[in-house]
Amino acid sequence: MKGSKDHPDLRSRDFPVKEDMAYQVRVWRFERWGWYLLLLVILLALLGLFSRGPLSSRQVDGGDGKVSVKYEMFHRNGSSNPMTVTVQGVPDATVELDLQGDLMEGFSIEILQPQPVRANSAGRGLKFWLQTDAQGRASIYLTLRGDGLGRFSTTLSSPGSATVNITQFIFP
Amino acid sequence: MYLALMVLFKIAGRRSLAELTTFDFVLLMIIGEATQQALLGDDFSLTNSVLVIITLIAIDFGLSLLKQRSSWVSRLVSGEATIIIEDGKLLHERLRRARIGEADVMEAARSSQGVETLDQIKFAILERNGKISVIPRET
Repeated sequence: MKGSKDHPDLRSRDFPVKEDMAYQVRVWRFERWGWYLLLLVILLALLGLFSRGPLSSRQVDGGDGKVSVKYEMFHRNGSSNPMTVTVQGVPDATVELDLQGDLMEGFSIEILQPQPVRANSAGRGLKFWLQTDAQGRASIYLTLRGDGLGRFSTTLSSPGSATVNITQFIFP
Repeated sequence: MYLALMVLFKIAGRRSLAELTTFDFVLLMIIGEATQQALLGDDFSLTNSVLVIITLIAIDFGLSLLKQRSSWVSRLVSGEATIIIEDGKLLHERLRRARIGEADVMEAARSSQGVETLDQIKFAILERNGKISVIPRET
């Protein structure tokens, strides 16, 4: 059978080189499986396992529809990804958004638009007061740069709303 | 980063580091660029560059010491030579697994020994560094 382990070609020779074909066959098998692994990694990367793709982009909201977040679950250290938070409040007023958790430890906010009416640090995170539009909706657009490594859990809430929990992972 | 590159080139096999075609050359250049970015990051200071270089050389030195002490490590890191032509006959199963063709062997034979045909070759060996060395038949 072609490729069988007992193929005469695969017998270890002694001259001019002392061979260990059993070992060499293992090396070749490792190369083969390594190749499949490389293909798998490329596929996963295209699907967004390492950021930006169907496996990574998420949109969650807290049940009651008051706070919703569109974000990337996977990040790479040093690169930037967007995050959009939409809060439903009273029309033409300010609504408060509370960002708590590990966010500030793992990320730096590179861009924040629009400028909140008021912004404070609160606990380990931040509190923003956003101006709502005529429908009572306010959105804040952030660009986050991953500075840390590993898992970071963040909660987003607004007074009187359900809390949205998100987990993000930063690859080295 | 070093470990990742070692594993990746182990997967790529010996020939990837041997005689460079234009394609291989471009590939190595791009790998070099990508690696530099990862190793230096945002920091292009003299200090950081020297630290990276020192670390790489130290790892290389350390590995060569380890290779001397342990033949198992030596085999793991550098690989082994493999005979691919024996008495003028191609060992097809080995060629297939090593992903080399008869053309590659003949090219090595012509450039190193001036050999014209397959039956003028006594042995051809795929060395650890990916080069094919040819021992011609004594006439």
